[in-house]
Amino acid sequence: MAGDVTKRTQVRIWDLPTRLFHWLLVFAVIVEAKTGFFGPANSLDWHVWAGYAIAALLAGRLIWGLYGSEYSRADRLFSALRHLPEHIGGLLRLKPKHYAGHNPAGSLMILGLILVLLALVATGLVVLGGTEKQGLLAGITPYDVAHLAKGAHQVLAYSLMAMVVGHLVGVATEMLLLRVPLIRGMITGWLPKAPHAASEILRPARPMLAALSIAFSALVVTAVALPLSTHKGLGVPAPVSNVLYVKECGACHWSFHPSLLPRKSWALIMGSLDQHFGEDASLSAEAVKEISTYLDANAAETADTEPANRLRGVSEAEPMRITATPFWRHQHDELPPQVFRSAKIKSKANCAACHRDALTGRFDDQNIDIPDTSKAGETQ
Amino acid sequence: MKRALIFLALASLSWGSAMAFADDRRDAILADLAAQAVAADPAFTAFSADRGKAFFLATPSSGKPDTPSCTTCHTKDPKAKGQTRAGKEILPMAVSKTPDRFTDAEKVAKWFLRNCSSVLGRECTAAEKGDFITNMAAQ
Repeated sequence: MAGDVTKRTQVRIWDLPTRLFHWLLVFAVIVEAKTGFFGPANSLDWHVWAGYAIAALLAGRLIWGLYGSEYSRADRLFSALRHLPEHIGGLLRLKPKHYAGHNPAGSLMILGLILVLLALVATGLVVLGGTEKQGLLAGITPYDVAHLAKGAHQVLAYSLMAMVVGHLVGVATEMLLLRVPLIRGMITGWLPKAPHAASEILRPARPMLAALSIAFSALVVTAVALPLSTHKGLGVPAPVSNVLYVKECGACHWSFHPSLLPRKSWALIMGSLDQHFGEDASLSAEAVKEISTYLDANAAETADTEPANRLRGVSEAEPMRITATPFWRHQHDELPPQVFRSAKIKSKANCAACHRDALTGRFDDQNIDIPDTSKAGETQ
Repeated sequence: MKRALIFLALASLSWGSAMAFADDRRDAILADLAAQAVAADPAFTAFSADRGKAFFLATPSSGKPDTPSCTTCHTKDPKAKGQTRAGKEILPMAVSKTPDRFTDAEKVAKWFLRNCSSVLGRECTAAEKGDFITNMAAQ
């Protein structure tokens, strides 16, 4: 049917912006997958910046879908979809037709990939805003909304991985069945001419219009993003501030941010200082009163950070112990136990040993810094 | 050069007087404890650094299980930094290392109350407190 494709006339299918978009997107998605699926938690900045890069790439690509050269245009994806049944029939007979640009199955895949990537960017911004209280939506996203978005973000991420596999299988199929060098084509832009494509009128790229659109979009995004970026994070508490609390409680352990336990737990703690986690930590009645008032006024119920929301779910057996909460245990379950016994950390309760921003109550992923505990002889 | 010497002289003088002041306050605390010790036991004569040292290094294990001894947190060397069970640094107990140790009567009373309860399971006697401070002041 197709004859020896290598001898056929070569045509320019993918213009430079489309090729650049493709490979930059590949790189950004690899960064996202590595940091998103495998961490570590303090690589969040990489994850976020690769996400912003994907958003910018998608915006540019959508504009190029309007003003790019023929095979980069978005409307070709939709018209190709009309041939999908015929194309699938051809694939089943192992004799698919050679289309210039995206074939019908590929067009469906591209539309799906773009939609899933857009949804990943959107849910990612919500998660960042509501759980970490960072990014453009930090000032307007409640934790509960972000928690839902996190579930969606995860499902979408797995879907994207499945689609990437589908995309690669599709490319391999076409390369094997039609002997079209698709990978080289996405690098050089040149591919053998499809037999039936002779009479097509090819629309040229409109780079000036594209550049103007991109500049205009950038202005709109900046106009929206600038005021949003100055918002204070929704429900982010004040850092530990009570002088007496820091002096008395901070004498033996780091000054736990009041938002890390609910009111009921703080009341239990302040009511049993003579039996305080294995020690007598008695205070004068006046000190107990002032510290109790401070803790009550700034307890987990008053904040909307991730720790405040999740640590509210205290252990029923040990409602005073932060490290007994299901959330704390889940967050720390991959750390080897000897980390907590090392001289620099000493106790699971020593949050500030690894969380550099512990006193703010934020516990940002980026501020996790686990001291090197691998050296011998560090244990007590 | 001359100016630097004068500065040094003034600095050491003020340091010295601050230390002397700290010593005065510690002596006042010790005098108060001595009065209590006499009231409790008319045979009491003077505090002993040696008794204080033995008291510090002992392992009474009569208090809470996690704190069998003073040295659990303060280490056996009073000149070394200690660490609380929650990982917080404790400055050395030795007065030579931490000059303002045992100079704030309220603080001294608070920590003896708590830590004697944790380690011994009871309040310390005035004699025990005085021996303890006398030992640390000599370190």
